[in-house]
Amino acid sequence: MAQSEEVPSTEGDAEERRLIDRSAAGDQEAFRQLVLRYHRLVINVAFRALGEVGLAEDVAQDVFIKVYKSLPSYRHDKPFKHWLHRVAANTVTDSLRRRRPLVSLDGLEQTLVSAGSDPQDVAARHDLQRAVRHAIASLPPHYRDTIALQAFGELSYDEIAKALDIPLGTVMSRLNGAKRLLRERLGDLIRPSEEANTA
Amino acid sequence: MLSHATTRDWLIPYADGMLAVDERRRIDGHITGCASCARELREVRELNLLLVTLPPAPPVAFAPFWLDLQAVLPQRRVLRIPRMQPFRRLGIAFAMAATAALVAAGSAFAAPSALPDNPLYPVKQLEEGMRLAFAPANERLTIQLQLASERLREAQAMAANHKPLLAENSLRAFRVIVDDAAVALKNPADPKAAKDALDKLHLRLDAVERENANRGDDDQEVKQLVADANDELDRIEQEDAVAAPPTLVVGEQATPRPTPQPTPRPTPRPNPSDDEHHH
Repeated sequence: MAQSEEVPSTEGDAEERRLIDRSAAGDQEAFRQLVLRYHRLVINVAFRALGEVGLAEDVAQDVFIKVYKSLPSYRHDKPFKHWLHRVAANTVTDSLRRRRPLVSLDGLEQTLVSAGSDPQDVAARHDLQRAVRHAIASLPPHYRDTIALQAFGELSYDEIAKALDIPLGTVMSRLNGAKRLLRERLGDLIRPSEEANTA
Repeated sequence: MLSHATTRDWLIPYADGMLAVDERRRIDGHITGCASCARELREVRELNLLLVTLPPAPPVAFAPFWLDLQAVLPQRRVLRIPRMQPFRRLGIAFAMAATAALVAAGSAFAAPSALPDNPLYPVKQLEEGMRLAFAPANERLTIQLQLASERLREAQAMAANHKPLLAENSLRAFRVIVDDAAVALKNPADPKAAKDALDKLHLRLDAVERENANRGDDDQEVKQLVADANDELDRIEQEDAVAAPPTLVVGEQATPRPTPQPTPRPTPRPNPSDDEHHH
C-alpha cells in the first residue's frame, strides 16, 4: 500500500511548500531536505521496477535531477508526492524499456509463483519477477504508466487517479487493459499451480 | 445473473477490491456456476500476487546518495549568498571582479532594472549577488529589502506582460530573500524603518495581485504565492511583537497581556511604483 508515513501534515505541507519554493530558486540545502524526505520512496519504486540496488539508485538520481530541473514550473495545485510518483514512474519505466530483457519467458513455464525458499526456487522467482517487469515495460505507454504506479509505486486506484490527473474510471479501465495484456504476455507463467500441473 | 462477458470485464476490479458490495455479490453469483470465469479469476489473482510480491528496496544510506546526486545537479543561480570569511571574500572578489569586468565590457549599460525576460537579466543577478556578498553587515538588511522590493517589481511587470511563470519565479525568489532577512527584520537596528519597509513590501504584493487579476490571467499560483508572502511578512511582524520584552507581572491583579495582533496594513496606493525610479 502507499507509504502513509511520507504524507506530511498541514504544518508539514507549509514546510514542504517552503522547501519546494526555495529549491526552485536554487537553494540546494532546501533540495537536500526534500530528497531526504523522499529518497526512500523513489529508490523503492526504482528497485521494485529494476530489481538491482545500484541501478535503482542511479535511476533515483535521474528522477531527482528531473525534479530539480522541473521545480521552477511545478504548480502547487497538485501534491508534490503525486507529482514525484509520476516522474518516478515515467523514469523507471523508460529505464526498464531501454534495458534488454535478461530472461526468456520460454524457460519459465514450470516456475510457480508460490515457489518456496529453496535456492533454485528463489532464483526462479527472481527470473519470474524480471519477466513481469519486462512485460510491464512492453505495454503501451498509457497502460504502462498506470500499472507502474500500482506495481512499483504501490499506489491505490485513487492515488493513481490523483498522480496522473485522470478520473477513477479511467484508472480502472487502464488497469483492466494493462492486466489483460500482461496475462496474455505472461501466458503460462501465471496459470495457477493446479492448472500447470494438469496441463 | 450476470452475463459471461460482463463478468470477465469486471474480474480485475473485482480482484482489486474496487467493486461495491452488490456488484461483488453479482460477480460471486456468476463465478460459482462458471468454471471458466473462476479459472480466469485465479489467473488474475496470481498476476496480482506477482505484482505485490515484487520485493522492496533494502535500506540505502542517504549521505552517499546525496553526495553523488549533488555532484551532478545542474547549477542554478543561488539566491542566498552565505557570509564568508574575509580572506575568502577577497579571493572570490578578484574572480568575480574579473568576470564582472568582462561582462560589463559587453553590457556596460546592463540596466539594474532588467526584467526576467530580458537577456541581460543574468548580469543583473550577478551584480546583485556581488553586492550582497560584499555588503558590510550593517548594510546587509537594507540591500536585502531593496532586492526583495525589486523581485516584486519584476513579478508585477511579468504579471502585466502575461508571463505568470516568470512572475512566480520572482515571487519565489522574493520569499527566499525575505526568509534570509527574517532574523534581522525581527531585531532591526531601526524598528520604524523596518516596519516601513515591511509595509512597502505589502503594498508591492498588493500591486502584484492587482496586476495578476487585472490582466485576466488571474493565475492561481501567483495568487497563492502572493498570499503566502503576505502571511510570511505578517508572521515576521507578529513574531517581532511576541519577542518584545514581557511586562513585569506581580501578583494576581496583574493585567493579562493582550494577544499580539498583526500590524494593520497601510491602505494600498493607486500606483505603488510611482515613488521609485525604474526604467
